[in-house]
Amino acid sequence: MEWAWLIPVFSFAVVPLIILFGKYLPGKGSPLAILAIIGGFVLFWVILFGFLNATPDTENCHIAEKTGALTCSYQRTWFDAGFPGTDNDVDKRVRLTWGIIIDPLAIAMLGLATFVALMVQIYSLSYMKGDARFDWYYAFHALFIAAMLTLVLADNFLLLYVAWELVGLCSYLLIGFWFERPTAREAAKKAFIVTRIGDVGLLIGILLLWREVGSFSMADAFVAAQSGAMSQGVATAAALLLFLGAMGKSAQFPFHVWLPDAMEGPTPVSALIHAATMVAAGVYLVARAFPLFAASGDALLVVAIIGLVTALGAATIALVSTDLKRILAYSTISHLGLMMLSLGAFGYTAALFHLLAHGFSKALLFLGAGSVMHATDELDIRKMGGLRKVMPLTAILFSIGALSLGGIPILAGFWSKDEILIAVNDHLHPAFIVLTLLTVLLSALYMARAMFVVFYGRFANAQEHAHESPPLMTITMALLGVLALFFGFMAFNWPGSYEGIGTFLFYDHPEGFHFVWWLGILSTVLAVAAFGYAYLAYVKRNDGLAGLKGRFAGLLRVVENKYYIDEAYQWSVDRVALTFSGFVAWLDRAVVNDVAVNGPANLVRRLGEVLKLHVTGHVYSYALAMALGLIGLAIFWWIQSV
Amino acid sequence: MVPLVYFQLLSVALFIIGLYGVMARRSAVLIVMSIELMLNAVNINLIAAASHREGTGSFINFDGQIIAIFIITVAAAEVGLAMAIIMRMYRNRATVNVDEIDLMKW
Amino acid sequence: MSNFDQSALLLIILAPLAGALLSVFLPRGRPNDAWYFAIFVSAITLILSLLLFARYDFSAGGYQFARTYEWLDAPLNIDLSLAMDGIAAPLVLLNGIVLFGAVLISQTIKHRTRDFFVLLLALGSGVFGVFVVQDLFFLFFFYELAVLPMYLLIGVWGSSTDFGSFVRTKEYGAMKLMLFLVAGSVLIWIGILALYVAAGQAGSPTFSLVTLGELSQSGHFGPDFQNWVFPLFMIGFGVLAGLWPFHTWSPDGHVAAPTGVSMLHAGVLMKLGAFGIIRVGMALLPEGAAAWMPVLIVLGTVNVIYGAISAMSQRDLKYIIGYSSVSHMGYVLMGIATLHPVGLTGAVLQMFSHGIMTALMFAMVGAIYERSHVRDITVLNGLMKRMGTTSFFFAIAGLASLGLPGLSGFVAEFMVFTGAFRTYLPLAVLAVIGAALTAVYILRLLARTFFGEADPQWEHLTDASPVEKTVGAAFVLILLFVGVWPAPLTRVINVSVESALGLF
Repeated sequence: MEWAWLIPVFSFAVVPLIILFGKYLPGKGSPLAILAIIGGFVLFWVILFGFLNATPDTENCHIAEKTGALTCSYQRTWFDAGFPGTDNDVDKRVRLTWGIIIDPLAIAMLGLATFVALMVQIYSLSYMKGDARFDWYYAFHALFIAAMLTLVLADNFLLLYVAWELVGLCSYLLIGFWFERPTAREAAKKAFIVTRIGDVGLLIGILLLWREVGSFSMADAFVAAQSGAMSQGVATAAALLLFLGAMGKSAQFPFHVWLPDAMEGPTPVSALIHAATMVAAGVYLVARAFPLFAASGDALLVVAIIGLVTALGAATIALVSTDLKRILAYSTISHLGLMMLSLGAFGYTAALFHLLAHGFSKALLFLGAGSVMHATDELDIRKMGGLRKVMPLTAILFSIGALSLGGIPILAGFWSKDEILIAVNDHLHPAFIVLTLLTVLLSALYMARAMFVVFYGRFANAQEHAHESPPLMTITMALLGVLALFFGFMAFNWPGSYEGIGTFLFYDHPEGFHFVWWLGILSTVLAVAAFGYAYLAYVKRNDGLAGLKGRFAGLLRVVENKYYIDEAYQWSVDRVALTFSGFVAWLDRAVVNDVAVNGPANLVRRLGEVLKLHVTGHVYSYALAMALGLIGLAIFWWIQSV
Repeated sequence: MVPLVYFQLLSVALFIIGLYGVMARRSAVLIVMSIELMLNAVNINLIAAASHREGTGSFINFDGQIIAIFIITVAAAEVGLAMAIIMRMYRNRATVNVDEIDLMKW
Repeated sequence: MSNFDQSALLLIILAPLAGALLSVFLPRGRPNDAWYFAIFVSAITLILSLLLFARYDFSAGGYQFARTYEWLDAPLNIDLSLAMDGIAAPLVLLNGIVLFGAVLISQTIKHRTRDFFVLLLALGSGVFGVFVVQDLFFLFFFYELAVLPMYLLIGVWGSSTDFGSFVRTKEYGAMKLMLFLVAGSVLIWIGILALYVAAGQAGSPTFSLVTLGELSQSGHFGPDFQNWVFPLFMIGFGVLAGLWPFHTWSPDGHVAAPTGVSMLHAGVLMKLGAFGIIRVGMALLPEGAAAWMPVLIVLGTVNVIYGAISAMSQRDLKYIIGYSSVSHMGYVLMGIATLHPVGLTGAVLQMFSHGIMTALMFAMVGAIYERSHVRDITVLNGLMKRMGTTSFFFAIAGLASLGLPGLSGFVAEFMVFTGAFRTYLPLAVLAVIGAALTAVYILRLLARTFFGEADPQWEHLTDASPVEKTVGAAFVLILLFVGVWPAPLTRVINVSVESALGLF
């Protein structure tokens, strides 16, 4: 297990190789990136089994004080700053470490990230074929996944922040990969800046914790928070600041605006961002810092509320969006909201289980969308229809993903969503469960809409040249499809040694699988009803929909415009930020420079202009001055002598 | 011996005439001449003072005469220089009227 | 102690100065000869600075390579005494690197080339002198030697720009810079004389930093004295460090200066100011420093925010980088003002990191301007297509400037924040927000200038020359190296932070 640091290092190492030599290598260096991630994936299994065999007595392992989970950690000093010495005094020095942590949470994330990244990279071989910057694509990909793997392995906040920022950078590079397009350029900038705003919160939170605890170690911070060494107020402030970072990365309201635009990048990148790396980081952070959030109950409530607002709002937008990738993007936002809600409701296991299930399903959906795009060069679902006739495999696999996220029983999404409902029902106000169920209904509805409109119903003639995608693409999708179908069974306690995911991924105490019948049946009914209604509306072309649209035209317009949040941002950037910045720049020029600097200079010049008038240039006036001076001196001496 | 005060009065008179000339005349040449007048006033003053000085023993003090000779030498050089400048000025501007010449300012 | 150790510091000051003097005898009108000779000289100083840095024994700490050359005896007591500590060591290295880079980049100077390099090398000599000298008289002498050539370098080889609503000529830029810096030196000189006189009252007058330090430790400088002398140094040196509101010479100076001079100006020269505050202000007047630090940290925070906000609405590449320098020097000032070991280490590291980063930016801007004769980001676009390497290097420098982990800027800023969080929490929070503002203007610049559709009007641009690529690649490697493994620098800085903080 002490070799776990190799997992990200593999991918880090290939980045410079591809950048420098990619042009000369076979496949422009892509095999290197894929080999690195295969290495990571293999190592993940080694570590998983190593961890399952580990006990608290194993070297470097112990039962973490607050989470109750077996934790192994390995440290190495990075550098010291401040006075030389060894003791840990917050006013004298700070020691920064490279440290990795291996616990169930990290292992789950490692599995998700390496597997999805592997699938996406293989898929991209075919999808990105012929792109002018193929080598750069794989270099950025490798860096992206390396940063994400570092993030999940980090055992201190500083290393986490380092990886966190690198993840942000890579999303910037990959979203803006086709930088010739102004939209891609702007989307990349938006993603980086919006997440960066959250990162400010994260960094402040980390530094605040350092101020209180004197180290960047997560374990120290959690112990201090739980033991009361840190005041309740500070714990809440720190937790909320960390959550601000998580909101940015996980696209929670009001920082969700970057994610839908992020689809300007190549589609496999969206799959990676939405499933395994970028957005998962936020949920991971809240889960990782859960002891801190738990120490401050208020912070958890905020998490739950933000999660719910995000989930519900994004689901409504997804329902009316006409761009396939945007529908999926809003669906991601909505599901991330559900995960946050679940964390806010103490549903630690449920949230992470949903993160995994959603990750596989969403990667599948995005790769499916990429396959559709590859075949048709089209993303507007109004122009598509009946694609199942030309791309049957993609249609089946996309449908599996959609049904899974729609919450149809036995698919992965159903079980994880059910866990979330139980957690919300158990821990939060009844209003939450009502709104969560509404979200569940909406999410089934928009998934059904996307699925039926694109693949079923009348065949759109414009798409005649469409064709099934190459095998590399369909095979990777099929592998993800298998997981989307069957991953849900991980939740159960199977006969034998496996007792359900709740005994592996848990906070405080392990819990077995449980099922609340009325919630399960209710959510099934809602999902099935949604799919049925969508079938009628979009495949059978029932006219009820048009009437419904007419009745709520005003509301529809607000939702279609994404609640005008983008406009509000645009307005505040244009009108407030740029105006203020322009004002400061003007101040610097007009006041600081022209008045304070040029002012005295001009004053001296004016004064000179007045004073120089007594200098006539005539010889006799100078002579007169000399004479008068002489006389003056004579009088002065005379008076003195008297 | 003529009392010193007469020499001094002569010197002051010459000096004031010279000063008046410097300030009132417009021709640069006359101004130079007036300056010469003032220098000579100083020379008279110096020599008179030196010859009226209480002698120390048999040795007569020549300080005033020495300085006067210096002044005459310098004045000669100065006149040469001044006339050269005036000549150049006349060539350039076709005038030696100092009212029309105000180059000595910013 | 080897012969090298004994005379290395004198050598590193004299080498560029001798090079400057010898350049005078080079034949006129053969620009390449002057350039080759300057490369030769600056390569020697680079090697010397590397050797000095490598041979500085960080386990022993303190001042090393000390050597005194007696000059004037009592009653004046002025000696040329040289020594280097862990704070000066990285800065000496920085100057060696940036001077070499600036000389290389100045290949394009074709007008009075010889004179240009004479001044540039003299400037470099002055900077080395300030970093390693132990005598206030010579410190001031070298300080002026570093500052004064700027006037000619900008005034003769600079460029004038018409911004539409206003014009900045090179003469204006040079004059403004010089007047500000000379006004600053006047304050410094008054402060130095005050120390000299005060030392005289305590025994015999001296300029020696060592003796003055001992006097300070033994309490010869009363609190009242410290409280009025410290601000002289704080503002006097602060002017050169770009302290708000005396920063305004800096962006204008950059806009007017030629590339190589901009690199030295922002890369090294502004660090002299911060270094002076540490070396003279804090070390000799600890109580005055403690009393005035709240003021300095407020001004430093204003620097950070004000510089970033100003940069956001600039259109000229050099103005953007100029204001960004103001903003980044704010971190240095903040780090100093924390009087916290970590913050101070961060400040010194930030000096090094910002020196490399901003020199790289100016080098790349110079490459762009050289080819397009435009620096307006609304006119330039899609350069990534035409000048891929230049754009790549600029982007790396930009990312370092916005504090991306893995590059040197992050480590340094982070340490400054760490120190500030411990001492001045609300201001530190503001500074972190300022770091995010950096992202806004850097990304805006990158998006406007480098990304986007290739513009036919820039079809003719060629990518960086081999020389420019070499400089760029070397600087990028340094940024990466320090970002990933700052220990070689921090362990050297750490050992001297304790003595720099004096009584604290």
